[in-house]
Amino acid sequence: MTDATIGASGIEARTELAETGWKRLAMHILVFVIIVGVWELAGVFNQLNDLLLPAPSVIIGKFAEMWLPEALGGTGRIYYHFFLTLWEAVAGFFIGVSIGVSLAVTAAVSPMFRRYLAPYAVAFNVTPGIAVAPLIIAWFGFGISSKIALATLVCFFAPFINTLTGLLHVDEEASELFRSMRANRQQYFWKLQLPSSMPLFIAGLKLALTGALLGAIVAEFFSASAGVGILMQRYSFKLDIGSALATLLSMSLMGLLFFTVMEILDYRVIFWKRDSRMQAVSKKRKAAWRM
Amino acid sequence: MSTATEAESGALPSLAPTSKADHAWIVAKHFAIFFFLLALWELGSRAGWIDPLLYPAPWSITKQIVLIYFIQGNVWHHLYITFAEALSGLFVGSLIGIGLATAAALSLRFREYIKPYIIVIEATPRIAVGPIFIAWLGFGFSSKVALAALVCFFGPFVNTLTGLLNIDAEAEELFRSMRANKWQTFWGLRVPNSATILMAGMKLGCASAFGGALVAEFISANEGMGVLMSRYTYVLNMNGAFATLLSITLFAFLLFKFADAVDYYIVFWRSDKLMQRKSKKRKAAFLKSLG
Repeated sequence: MTDATIGASGIEARTELAETGWKRLAMHILVFVIIVGVWELAGVFNQLNDLLLPAPSVIIGKFAEMWLPEALGGTGRIYYHFFLTLWEAVAGFFIGVSIGVSLAVTAAVSPMFRRYLAPYAVAFNVTPGIAVAPLIIAWFGFGISSKIALATLVCFFAPFINTLTGLLHVDEEASELFRSMRANRQQYFWKLQLPSSMPLFIAGLKLALTGALLGAIVAEFFSASAGVGILMQRYSFKLDIGSALATLLSMSLMGLLFFTVMEILDYRVIFWKRDSRMQAVSKKRKAAWRM
Repeated sequence: MSTATEAESGALPSLAPTSKADHAWIVAKHFAIFFFLLALWELGSRAGWIDPLLYPAPWSITKQIVLIYFIQGNVWHHLYITFAEALSGLFVGSLIGIGLATAAALSLRFREYIKPYIIVIEATPRIAVGPIFIAWLGFGFSSKVALAALVCFFGPFVNTLTGLLNIDAEAEELFRSMRANKWQTFWGLRVPNSATILMAGMKLGCASAFGGALVAEFISANEGMGVLMSRYTYVLNMNGAFATLLSITLFAFLLFKFADAVDYYIVFWRSDKLMQRKSKKRKAAFLKSLG
């Protein structure tokens, strides 16, 4: 799970604050404004080639045009594509995670299954999942199912390997405690293995969601009639780079949406990671116990 | 992070430890199961339960492999192209990633300012930039390298940053108490500390560089494994597509093994044997320098 390390949280945790609060935010905005300002000025003075890199105002204009409904002067074209891709990615995500997690649980419970699965898992791990895209299209056709299938294929591995690692690597001392209390297999699984696999499991989910989005988009590049991937490709091939970048921005938006959902999930599920949440939960449980 | 590196290298955790004779027996059993599965598939195909047009039988895939490798020999050129693209992309991408990470590790301010951008870049499905790169850089080699670099720079970046920042507190105190300056701390403590996780990041980057190169080829190219594969699929030559996919798996696996070997020599302190050899050499050099 270097997999697991690849979360933006990796940088977050260790950034000591130089300045605090408003001042920091103001500096961030200032830096951003300067960058965009220089870029825009270059556009104003005709230093940019619109076919290669249009000015920010152009991109924002195209972005607004895509997102505004017709009543407000836009085309509102993005919604259909956006939600289609969103649906493909989310469906692929759920199928992939179910497959990955059930494989992981089976492998964690049965050493024999784990042993026989290992070589295939290694082979699977080294094949770039998106390389299967043409085959998937041939099998599932040009419609939505091929996109869901590719998203599933690309995303199932991270939850699988993370859940498996989490289930197997339990704290030695906790494991000894469970044994000395004569915990049975079910108790061992539900009370020790499952909770201790949670952080890695969630990290796997984060990766899977990104992977699913990636798979859906790549499958769309291949052949599709709708979706942000195909929108992007059409704009780029028309050399309408402004619109293409605006589409990219929309994809970032989708990615950020996914990212936020996962952060919230992380916050709710792994409550013991943050002290304040931990205390809140423990207070609630204490109250419930007293009742 | 330790679990991170492990799962990263593709090994499934915790296979039961075995003796040598047992090991041979297990390998034999593995092969038996593998060939049994292949035989089932072949039989199913011959009996007409599996449509050979979509899911070709193992034997015809084998024939196709022999064809493209030895009789026609056309795969070598495409393999070379894709490898060159992926490796150049990995080189460029890890150069950028490690450079950025070093700058971010040295300067708190820089780290603060790039953080939001990094989060956005991470959330964006970077492969989606493919069509734009092709519009910018053309249909040739450079657009593939650019996409591979963009897709893969993140792993080396985050991992290097994590490695450079997460140093052992006691080692740092030792350095401080010996009045080490910033550069001594950097080279003597931070860089060696980041080696393990950096290598894990490179491996991750390697896999994604491959993915990036393949997708760029899918979008538009006239040579490379991605092109070969999509051509085979479009003419419904599924044997060819499978043979290509298997080649990708095989060569990605070899690359992975190579990375493992490099890892073994760079992070020499992880293996006792190498560690002792190295320390003996250093001791000899030290004694010699005393005269």
